[in-house]
Formats: sequence, structure tokens, C-alpha cells
Amino acid sequence: MRKLTITSMIFIVLVFGFSLGYATELAVWSSPDNADALFELAQNFMQAHPEVQIEVTPLSWEVLYPRILQDITAGVGAFDVTTWDLMTAGAIAPGMLDLEAFAQEHPDLVDPDFDDDDFIPTARYIYGYWGDKRIGQPFYGAAMFFFYRQDLFQDKALQEKFQAQYDRELRVPETWQEAKEVAQFFTKKFNPDSPTEYGIGLMFPRTHTLFYMFLNFFGPYRRSPEGIEKFGEVDLDWGDLFTADHQPAFNSEEGVKAIQDMIDLLPYSSDPLGSDYGETLEAFSKGMVAMVPQWTACMASWQESPDLQPFEEKVGIAIMPGKAPVSGGWGVGINAFSKNQEAAFQFIQYATSKEGDKIQWLKYRVGPTRKSVIEDPEVIADAPWLKDVYLPSLEGASHRPRIPEEPRVEDVLVGTISEILLGQAPNSIETLNLVAEEWKKVLSK
Amino acid sequence: MMNSKKRKRTGFLLILPLLILFLGLTIYPLIYMIYMSFHQYSLASWEEPRFIGWENYREILRDRTASSSVSFTLFLLFTAVPLEILLGIGIAFLIRDVWGERALRSSLIIPMTIPPVVAGIAWKMLYNYEFGPINYFISLFGLPKVSWLGSQFFARLGVLLIDVWQWTPFIFLVIYAGLQSIPRDVVEASLVDGASGWSAMRYIELPLLRPLIWVTLIIRVIDVLKLFDIVYMVTFGGPGSATHSYSFYIYKVGISFGWDVGYASALSVILLLVVTILTNLLIRFLRLSETLGL
Repeated sequence: MRKLTITSMIFIVLVFGFSLGYATELAVWSSPDNADALFELAQNFMQAHPEVQIEVTPLSWEVLYPRILQDITAGVGAFDVTTWDLMTAGAIAPGMLDLEAFAQEHPDLVDPDFDDDDFIPTARYIYGYWGDKRIGQPFYGAAMFFFYRQDLFQDKALQEKFQAQYDRELRVPETWQEAKEVAQFFTKKFNPDSPTEYGIGLMFPRTHTLFYMFLNFFGPYRRSPEGIEKFGEVDLDWGDLFTADHQPAFNSEEGVKAIQDMIDLLPYSSDPLGSDYGETLEAFSKGMVAMVPQWTACMASWQESPDLQPFEEKVGIAIMPGKAPVSGGWGVGINAFSKNQEAAFQFIQYATSKEGDKIQWLKYRVGPTRKSVIEDPEVIADAPWLKDVYLPSLEGASHRPRIPEEPRVEDVLVGTISEILLGQAPNSIETLNLVAEEWKKVLSK
Repeated sequence: MMNSKKRKRTGFLLILPLLILFLGLTIYPLIYMIYMSFHQYSLASWEEPRFIGWENYREILRDRTASSSVSFTLFLLFTAVPLEILLGIGIAFLIRDVWGERALRSSLIIPMTIPPVVAGIAWKMLYNYEFGPINYFISLFGLPKVSWLGSQFFARLGVLLIDVWQWTPFIFLVIYAGLQSIPRDVVEASLVDGASGWSAMRYIELPLLRPLIWVTLIIRVIDVLKLFDIVYMVTFGGPGSATHSYSFYIYKVGISFGWDVGYASALSVILLLVVTILTNLLIRFLRLSETLGL
């Protein structure tokens, strides 16, 4: 009996000890947008590195950001790797590993083919840096695009009607002024012959959606030569809503004009103040809307929609009117308190490599961040618009603030714009000045 | 003597785990919350907590969103709670002794058993402007579609409807159970003495149900002051600040804004004080301590 007990104990200790020594377990937190791609990349990585076990946990945006903050401020190290929304860069930066410093300390771990200069420069900064600190590698490149019903814009009869009505040719709008006319033309209420119920699908709910939608309208003013002269160059940490010297820029004539553009489009959209991502996606999917500003993630659903077939003929993708669409997207970084930093470094290096970037786009529609992938023949054949629409959109994108106070200032502005759109507050510089004062108060804390 | 001491010690040991949990999960966080409410502390700023006295409380008085969230919470308090109580009592009386009472009783409490988050998703679909069944039925009568989530009036009405739908069954259930416990012979005697059904209800049954009505009132008042999930799922406080409930605002400050622990604590302390004072006032005003032997 005694012998049996001792043998069992030795066996248990050996098995347990072996398993402990064998695997490095990486906990990867991810937003749902990135999770599927990360699952496959993790599988590929584990095949090449059998000593590493990776568990990818998808967490919704609302949960992921607070949990990252909670973990890194407490120094727990509950996750090793995480995807992070570009807007949260300033808040999480102190708790993220400096990848450049780490690479210098561990040159043996650096992949010689990684080619950091291959990243699109804007993507490299907004998904990679906070100030001088390299807090991540670019993972998910995104800007908003202008999707439209290509078949309707190419319809000869509609082109003639538009020409007769507006005395110019029907084309995909390049400015918001043009968008107003086209949206009116495609709205049944204003044009009973319109093949669609509404001209444009807008989402202006009282959520962060309204914040980024506002930038699609403010960006063109802010980034115009007059805007640059008035407000200065855009600081990529502070974003387009600030001047070069970090003062609010939206409480200006340009801010009022941008909101007026939004107000002018309201009649041509279905319930814009009550709609969010899902509602506009559905309306376009059902063929009710002629144009819609959206993210690339919608495409997967639209490609399956019976009302949008054949997809390539019916749906076109263009740069947002005004040519300064809002940027989105994710970086992937390492917890400064991770105990598995070496394995984590190797994993994110693989996930953001040329191979990883190409897999992400081709299989999961995760926007590429590398120039070589956009120019890859297989990718060009799959999505020629990446070069003509995606790249200039990302390079000319307007940016939200990435400062730690972003969520707070965002809520203040969203509340006021929502009130203006509802007609509860006047669209004036005075109204926006009140928001600017609030912003200054938040920033001075 | 020794026996009594031993018994006391055993009793203490038995409640010790609960006591530890209570101290750790209720008393400590409560004291910490009060302590943090006098500090400037946000996890996103990466600075140590800084004592700022009453500044967070003064900030609440200046905060426009805080005041609009108080306004919406009061709106619900003065509309949803009375409506739920009236409907709950009415339904409890109406379904008594009707054919299919059991089936009705079971089906009436279904809304209460649905998790608020699930209810929120379902109602958001019902309120959908283009594809929602509610607007479909409205259109059958030739009426224009309603922007349930995009207009201030209808968004408030929408949240009110969901709350009434979900919590009227609770009032109904309590009052209905109370009605079953009223001795039938008392009511029957009054009817024999010539009282009408209305008089029996007004002068016999309702007075006997009064303690239960007051208790449900207090529970619902506390619940409405804490309303969060429906707002989070259906309107996210909008449009504008039309449906910002106070608890939802605390969530935004405390979690969404990057863990502004100090200010969220101050907002929470105020809520705690209001709930405590209001509950105590109600208990005193309604003389519940005498009625329920508290």
C-alpha cells in the first residue's frame, strides 16, 4: 500500500511538473472584431511553437477597455496580450510594454523579416505609439467608407432624371453639399420615383457612434487648407477636434457648419437619431437606402444579402464625402506586467507580420495595415478598392482624441450634438463654447 | 454559565463566515466609497488619489448631465411607480374568480421573469423604426411611424412602458397573494349585510392590503432609483439626455469614462443617501413600523 502511494505521488508530481514546465500559456484579450482572426493566427503560431498555448478571449468593447485599465493599474497581469482601440492609447500606455525597448533588450527575438517600415505610416503611429512609446503593433486598420448602390448610380434613366432636376450629372458625392442633393433625389418623400425609400443611412444615436460620425463632417473643414491655417496641423495624439496647441477646435464656425451639414441630411435618412450600426446596416442590406457611411465590417453581412446580389454590381465603395473620414482600428500590445513577455512578443510579431496581415484581410476582412499587403496581387484581385479607396482614406483620415480623458470629453460633446440635432439647443458657437469650457475643465483636472 | 458561554461562542463561530463576507463585501466597499468620494481618482490618469474635500459633491451641483439624469429618474418615479401600483392592484382584483384564473396568473408574471437585459434587446427590436412590430401595427391604422428611440418624448415613453410592462406583474403577484390571504367570511359577511362589491373592496379588502401596497411601493421606489439595465440596452440615455437615469450616469462616470472612481463614488453616495432617507421617510410616514412590527 505504502509503495503504491509513493509511486502514485511521484507520478502525479512528474506529470504536473512536466506540464508546468512544458507550456507557456498566453492569455490574449480581444475585441470581437479581431477575435476570429486572432484565433486562426494563434493556431498557426502554436503549430510553429508547440511550447506555447494561447487562449483568445473575446470581450465586448464596453467590457474590454475597463478590464484592461483595471488590470494594468492594479498590476495583476491577468492578460499577456490585448488588442486595444486606438482611442484608448493614452489611458493604457503607462501599463503597456514598450516594444521598441523590449526589442533592443531581446534582439534574438526580433524577426529579421518583420519590416516595421512596411506599415502604412499613419497606421504605424495611431495603432502603435503614444508619444514616443511603442505600445503596440498595428493590427486592424480602419476608416469609415461611403458605400453606395452602384447599380442605381449607373442607371441611365436615373442619371437623366438627376441631370434634369439638379442640372449636373449624377455621381457619387465627393462633398457633403453634393451628398445632400443626391440624398434628396433618392428619398421617396421628396422624389416619388426614387427606387429607394431613403437617400442616406445615418446613425446619430447618443452613443460614441455620434462622436465618430461628427468627425466625418468636421474633418473636411478641419483638414482644409483654411482649417490647417486656422487650427494648425493635427496632433495625432489629440486628434482633429483639437488645435495644434491642444485647444478645442470645434467651437468655431467650422464646427457649426459641420453640424449644419448633419442637420441638412436628417430628412433623407430613416430615423437617424434612433439608429445605430445595426439599423443602418439592415436598411442598406434590404435595399431601402442608396448610400451609407459605414465600416468595412458590414461588408460580410451585405455580401450575403439577397437584395444586394450580385454584390459586385450592386454595391460600390468610395471615400467619404469631404475626403476626411474618421479613423478606427486596433493595435495589439503586451501587458507590462505579463510574466510571458517573450512568448507574447513573438506572438504579436507573427500576428502583425506580412503573412498575418494578409490572412486577416483575405479570411476575416480585418483591414490591412501593411503597404505590401495592399499591393499584393492576390489582395488586389480580391479587393482592388483597397489601393484606391482604403489607403487614401486611412492616410487622409481625421482622428478622435487618443488622450486618457477621451471618454469623458466624448460624452460631453455627444450630449450637446444630440440636443442640437433634436432641436433642443441652437446650433451656434455659443452652444459649442459651453462644451469647450466643459472640455477644458475635464482636461484641467 | 459555561454552557451559555460555549453556546454563544458556537453561535458566533457559525455566523463568522457570513460576518466576514458582510464586512468584506458590504461594509468595506461602503466605507471605501465614502472615502474615495472626497478624492480625485481616475484610473485613466495614472495618478495617486488626491484629497479634494467636497469638490466632487460641488461638481454634482454644477453637472448638467447629473441634473438631467435626476430629472428623468424623478419622471419615472412619479409616472411608472403609481402606474404599476394601480395596474397591479387592478389586475389582481380583476382576474379573481374569472375563468382561466390560473393560466392568466401564470402568464401575467412572465415579464417579471425575463432578465432585463434580454427584455431590453427584445424591446429594442419592437421599437425599431423600419422593421419593428409596433410601428407595423401603427401603420395598419394609417398612422405615421413613431421614432421610439429618436424623439425625446417617445424615448421617455418607451422606457416608461418597458418598466411598467416588466414590474406591474410584481405588484400584481404580491397583491394577488395578499388577496388570497384575506378571510373570505369577512368579505361575505359584508355582502350579506348589504355592502356592494365595490364597498367591500374599498372598505375591507384594500385596508387589509395596505401594508403590502406600501411595501411594494418602497421596493419599486428603490428599484426605479437604481434603474440601469433597460436604459443601457435600449436607449443608452438618449436622444440628447432624455433617458439618462441616475444609475446609468454613475455607470458612465465610473466605468465608461475610464474609472473616474472619485466622482462616481460621490454620485453613488448621494444615491445611497436619497434611497436611505426616502425609504425611512416612507416607513415613518406610512407607519409601517407599527403595521409590520418593524
